[in-house]
Amino acid sequence: MSNAALLPPEPRRRILALWLPYLSTDRLHRQGKGKSWRLRLVEPSSSHAKKNVAGSARADEPPLAVVAKIKNALRLVAVDEHAASLGLTRGTALADARAMLPALVVADDEPAADTTLLATLADWAERYTPLIAMDDNGLLFDITGCAHLFGGEAALVSDLTTRLLAHGFFAQAAVADTPGAAWAASRYANGGIIATGEAASVLSPLPIAALRLEPEITSAMERVGLKRIGQIIGAPRAPLAARFGEALIQRLDQALGIEEEAIDPRRPPAVFIAERRFAEPISHADDIAAALAALARTLATSLERHGEGARQIEYTVFRVDGVVMRVVVNASRPIRAPKLILALFREKFAALADDIDAGFGFDMARLSITVSAAMDAAQIDLAGDANAEGDVSALLDRIIARLGEGSVATIATRQSHIPERAAVFVPHGNVIATAQMPATERPLRLFAHPEPIFVTAGVPDGPPVHFRWRSATYHVTRAEGPERIAPEWWNDGGPTRDYFRVEDEVGHRFWLYRDGLYANSTAPPAWYLHGVFG
Amino acid sequence: MTNVIRLNPPKQKAESPSPQSQPFAELAVTTNFSFLRGASHPEELVRFAAELGLAAIAIADRNTLAGIVRGHVILRTMAEEAAAKGDPAPQIRYVVGCRLSFRDGTPDIFAWPTDRAAYGRLCRLLTQGNLRAEKGQCHLDLADLLEWGEDIILGVMDTSTTPEKERAGALDLAATLASLSTAFPGNVRLMASCTYTGNDSRRLARLARIAEAGDVPLMATNDVHYHQSDRRPLQDVVTCIREKTTLREAGFRLAANAERHLKPPEEMARLFRRYPQAIAETMRVLERIHFSLDELSYQYPTETAGDLSPQEALLRLTEEGARFRYPEGIPSDIRKSIDYELELIGRMRYAAYFLTICDIMRFARDEAKILCQGRGSAANSVVCYCLRITEVDPRMIEGGLLFERFLSEKRNEPPDIDVDFEHERREEVMQYVYEKYGRDRTSLTSTVITYRARSAIRDVGKVFGLSEDTIDALASTTWGWSDEGLPDKDVRRAGLDPHEKTLRQALDLSASLNGFPRHLSQHVGGFVITRDRLDEMMPVMNAAMEKRNTVEWNKDDLNDLGILKVDVLALGMLTCLRWAFDFLRRQYGWDLDLHKLPKEEKAVYDMLGRADAIGVFQVESRAQMSMLPRLKPKKFYDLVVEVAIVRPGPIQGGMVHPYLRRRQGLEKEEYPSEALREVLQKTMGVPLFQEQAMRIAIVAAGFEPHEADLLRRAMATFKRVGTIGNLKKRFIDGMIARNYERDFAERCFSQIEGFGEYGFPESHAASFALLVYASAWIKTHYPDVFCAALLNSQPMGFYAPAQIVRDAERHGVVVLPPDVNYSAWHSKLEPLPPGRNGSLHSHHVSMRDDIRTRYAVRLGLHRIKGMSEVDANLVADKRGNGYDSVRDVWLRTGLARAAIERLADGDAFRSVGLDRRDTLWAARGEGAMKARDRLPLFDVPQHADIRREPDFALPPMLIGEHIVHDYRYLSLSLKGHPVSHLRRDLAARGIIAAEDLRGHTPERDGRDMNGKRVTVAGLVITRQRPGTASGVIFMTLEDETDITNGIVWPRVFERYRPVVLGARLIALTGKVQSEKGVIHVVADRIDDLTSMLSTLAADAHDLQSLSRSDEVAHPTGDDSRSRGTRRHPRNIRFFETDERTKATHDVMPKGRNFH
Repeated sequence: MSNAALLPPEPRRRILALWLPYLSTDRLHRQGKGKSWRLRLVEPSSSHAKKNVAGSARADEPPLAVVAKIKNALRLVAVDEHAASLGLTRGTALADARAMLPALVVADDEPAADTTLLATLADWAERYTPLIAMDDNGLLFDITGCAHLFGGEAALVSDLTTRLLAHGFFAQAAVADTPGAAWAASRYANGGIIATGEAASVLSPLPIAALRLEPEITSAMERVGLKRIGQIIGAPRAPLAARFGEALIQRLDQALGIEEEAIDPRRPPAVFIAERRFAEPISHADDIAAALAALARTLATSLERHGEGARQIEYTVFRVDGVVMRVVVNASRPIRAPKLILALFREKFAALADDIDAGFGFDMARLSITVSAAMDAAQIDLAGDANAEGDVSALLDRIIARLGEGSVATIATRQSHIPERAAVFVPHGNVIATAQMPATERPLRLFAHPEPIFVTAGVPDGPPVHFRWRSATYHVTRAEGPERIAPEWWNDGGPTRDYFRVEDEVGHRFWLYRDGLYANSTAPPAWYLHGVFG
Repeated sequence: MTNVIRLNPPKQKAESPSPQSQPFAELAVTTNFSFLRGASHPEELVRFAAELGLAAIAIADRNTLAGIVRGHVILRTMAEEAAAKGDPAPQIRYVVGCRLSFRDGTPDIFAWPTDRAAYGRLCRLLTQGNLRAEKGQCHLDLADLLEWGEDIILGVMDTSTTPEKERAGALDLAATLASLSTAFPGNVRLMASCTYTGNDSRRLARLARIAEAGDVPLMATNDVHYHQSDRRPLQDVVTCIREKTTLREAGFRLAANAERHLKPPEEMARLFRRYPQAIAETMRVLERIHFSLDELSYQYPTETAGDLSPQEALLRLTEEGARFRYPEGIPSDIRKSIDYELELIGRMRYAAYFLTICDIMRFARDEAKILCQGRGSAANSVVCYCLRITEVDPRMIEGGLLFERFLSEKRNEPPDIDVDFEHERREEVMQYVYEKYGRDRTSLTSTVITYRARSAIRDVGKVFGLSEDTIDALASTTWGWSDEGLPDKDVRRAGLDPHEKTLRQALDLSASLNGFPRHLSQHVGGFVITRDRLDEMMPVMNAAMEKRNTVEWNKDDLNDLGILKVDVLALGMLTCLRWAFDFLRRQYGWDLDLHKLPKEEKAVYDMLGRADAIGVFQVESRAQMSMLPRLKPKKFYDLVVEVAIVRPGPIQGGMVHPYLRRRQGLEKEEYPSEALREVLQKTMGVPLFQEQAMRIAIVAAGFEPHEADLLRRAMATFKRVGTIGNLKKRFIDGMIARNYERDFAERCFSQIEGFGEYGFPESHAASFALLVYASAWIKTHYPDVFCAALLNSQPMGFYAPAQIVRDAERHGVVVLPPDVNYSAWHSKLEPLPPGRNGSLHSHHVSMRDDIRTRYAVRLGLHRIKGMSEVDANLVADKRGNGYDSVRDVWLRTGLARAAIERLADGDAFRSVGLDRRDTLWAARGEGAMKARDRLPLFDVPQHADIRREPDFALPPMLIGEHIVHDYRYLSLSLKGHPVSHLRRDLAARGIIAAEDLRGHTPERDGRDMNGKRVTVAGLVITRQRPGTASGVIFMTLEDETDITNGIVWPRVFERYRPVVLGARLIALTGKVQSEKGVIHVVADRIDDLTSMLSTLAADAHDLQSLSRSDEVAHPTGDDSRSRGTRRHPRNIRFFETDERTKATHDVMPKGRNFH
């Protein structure tokens, strides 16, 4: 079935707050044990529990904590359930934690990885609604008008948390009329659905901290005995505002729905959306294209009704295992005709052919018009194309656009005394500071593999007198050296090399080295030719 | 020599110098005192240079002379070693040098002073550079060198190793040579080295041309940075540390090869075969240099003597002092000692030193009224006693003093007098010293901060790119200092594979780095004072603290050169005693002082004998407290023993139990000879003091007194330097020759070995014992004074203020809370409030007649967390006839709202009729108003405004919550003990009170608890794991009745580790062990009861709403929870209760850990 909707705000919003209390440790557990690690840990006896079944680490596995340097001391910033059950809390100094639990496994904090992961989860969760905002260790969803697609709010929450559990995340979710109430219930109650009008009674027993206030305010309120939201809901407001600031009143009103609070979605809401769910996941390219065509037709109708045309269109397909793929096309003029839309995507698909990995198939597809314009306001660029096409960087950009990242490489120098390590190929455009090389002379051509030669030379560090290379003998007339280069002992060791620049009778110049010093070995060291000058 | 160095035996055997080779002197050597540049110790370099047969070695570190004494001393030591073996003295000469590095682009220049005066100028030059830079930096310009460079031979370094730099550098080089040659004709050289960069011959040719053109000789060096080529990895590591980078990223900042090591003369000759004159030049320069560090003849300041000669002045002061000390006439043996000591002091010319110390102490005592006392070996001198440098009466020391421990002619080392001052006022003394002697003659000694196992693995780990976490895991496994690096089993315990290549390299290199100097820091209070300019003897530099400067040498360096220093140290107990004496004078009208205390009072010893010692100096630790009832001190000397016996030395030497058995008459005193009886009789045949170890060496092994002192010093450092072997053989052979059994001799030696690092000298123990007696005397008679004085000297000692206050209360002291209407910043004494009388705890009833307390202790506002002294003083100053409201305080003091809130948190408004909750409510209301409210005109209407504010019903705060908040903001509570409010629950679990452990005392029901299995609970006050007790942990618990001493064996500890280390409130189950009134519970089970504390913080409202929140939070009807039980691990349902538990957990004392 397909469903197209223009999204004017409905009168009563419903917000879902999702909390991932173990985000960082779940990330690490998934890395170590695979996505399904939590499922494997759910004991059969608890399978009757309907929601929020948290599979957790077995007692025989070591507890896990994430640490970061805070004021010069390493402190725990996240702990998994196992560590928490053994009494570790956030903020504990790592030294203390280790003293208490020598078996503790510790990982460095990677806030960027957590944020990326949360963003990936947000992408994935767009299957429920495109309006998703990032939150502290969680997400906020505007599910207004969506829940019925999943069989109601409770079913949606259950679907969401169960799927997350299957992906290895413990999550707790709450739905309410306001972001504030949903947030509070997801973290300080046990999640659940708060029906319209019930916010006050649900919030009442929760601690003040559930109002998302500065810790200083929460602490000050606790100290005068105001510990629960219920104590201030019906209380006179002026004295509270005078003492704890207007923010308190605002947060309270926001939670209760007296004051509007907007959520800030990661992506601007689309102007037009059409989406389609598949009972049987699709994986064939033709099916994917067919779905696109159907959605395009649906949207065309909506566009026409509003006299609009699409400038930017996004096709999103949701894979069964949670991967979300997004293809964006831009039209230089507003377009509406499904044929045109399809044509744009066909180009794009051709370039991406290899990249669409259907895996176990897609179970949902969505087409969104993200930028639109009035259809009749045709714009033609009269200035023409004045760009300097001959510019190399423009050329490279085009090659990369066609052939992909990494198709063009450039040489960068690197700081290493070892000659063969001093240059390296890097993908073009990767910003790598090219090392300042010392002005010691290096041959124009350096052999990939130094070639063994037979040399007659003076001990201990005299230059070669003559040498045989590829069955020809060369007599050295001039030589300079040695340049002594010791191995990178922390990498691989090996002998110290003595390099010489030499010139033969006819003016050929060679770069050769003795691999090792005479003093340090019993067998005479071998000689190699490493490059030629000119 | 006590510097920590690792003298690795040279791995590659140096070839013996061939006689015909051209002699060569290596005059440009960078040691690891060029911090993070050199990779060998000065000692290693000098030793190896001698082995290689170099004619001379000059240590020339970068803009510093910090390492030159080490090189000088090792050569002296090598000569002594050679002499001992009958070998010829080493032929190598040692030269003092410095590598000057400029900020104005001038190439590096080596500087070798030719004589004493030139050396003085070099010091001035470096000082000038140091003082214009911040600590650790030296900013030099060529102009400075032109100012101070006379008679210093200058070797200009060519630092350009690449063709580009060569072209640019050639001009600089020529210009520098020209300007220096003009200023110092004949003293300038151009340095050349073979760097193996591929163009050596071209470069040498170029340098030769420049030298010729500039008419300066070319001079060879290898620009040495380490003694052997195998130090290259370490050199790379220190380079990375310095550059704050990793090996992988360091690139060209690392050297390409390992050539900058010491090379033998023939190799240098080969490298410079085309320029033999460059080799010969090193010898010509050497001939010009005549300076040696031995010439630094040190002169002590003389102004303290006035018109008299220092010796005459000292004589007069000593005579005056002797008459003061012995008003009934000077005993003849004392007379003899005085004459002997004075004669020796005169011969050694130390009189001025004594006068200087006297003067500093006179200033402190008489002018600034600061308590002070000499510590350490000075107590071995009668002259020091007469001069009031020490208060230890020689007659108090049984068997007499060992003057050689203090001053020995043979040792030729200055005496070491350390003086303790009140810790808060030491700075005044230091500034007096600076002012009196002038900044150009006075400076602090430095401390060389060296790498330890822990810091080494931290820095090396970073260089190898190990993760923070791995580094932390490795660093936290090192327990204490170890020179051997990290044992594999510790690495495995950290969850790492010690054989993994990178880790192995990092571990090995951090072991090598261990002992390397990292930077210089200032010594806590060691002063060098000279008669003439200090900065002509050694460079002076800025210290991190303002108004301070330091020299570049540490105390060992100064000792080795015979330079005197004075240690101005800080001691918290002196601050405490100063407070106590002040209280006694002001409140009780009794003018006391350390030397005026009534001596040898029985009541004092009785109290200590009962282990009633909380707060008493030195004897309040767990170990000391359990020793006291067994030792039952009866006289001063027993205290000396008590102080000395609970030390790692005697404990490891196995001396404690024999001594105790003999003291209790369970074992006979035995003496293998009459001579030893004399030495050991005072400690019942068991050696307990360093001095006894020395005397045994003298009387039983035939050592000369100064040799015995050598033995002591060797013991102190034997682990590092390994020179004790010879002395051990001499010791044992000497004893056998005097008819002692070999077995006994060896036992003697191993016993006294234990003293090396950890033993107390008797003299030091005696100085400390004086403070033990003084603090115990005050505690015995004036527990009010003692409590207030201790609180005002925090932080110090073993116990937190909560225990100090509880202990005072048990001794009948009334302690009153901090209050805006009564308290000052510090705690003080005030008249007892009407109707309040302290009550004496049953343990202390025997003291009823000794306690003379008449006042109550009023806690100061300093006890309130976050309170500032300035704000507290404002509160006290503006108090007038008292405050009547929060608003009143606010208006009159003008304190910021935050400060008023601190006072509210401290519950300091009780006298106004408000508890902390009401106050906080009011305070936040006041603070929200604007400053215009302060205008009197608006005062009344604003008041009216406040009254118009709607009523707000705050829930009342229950006592339990008050106690929790008291702990949070005062770290103690006068309203009750937290555990007392849990007693009912505890009793229901079968947990007994701490005082019930004393069931066998007559006051109680007469049951003998010994051997019974019991469970007690309490807050964890301290955890102690002494290094000497094979992993046993001593835990001290406190409940509302008493303190419980728990013993946790390692096996039990491992099982309950998280609880032992993390819990705040525990229940400890085990057998009671009672001996001589010392009661322990030997734990076999430990439970974490911390969560019970959270019920304290709950108020009535919480209890109500919590039950409701369950229903809402679990709409599905799941309510498997009950309060106080540990949460289910998988369940985050109780999140907020957890937060509450955690909050309460964090408030309660964490327990102090001691090792």
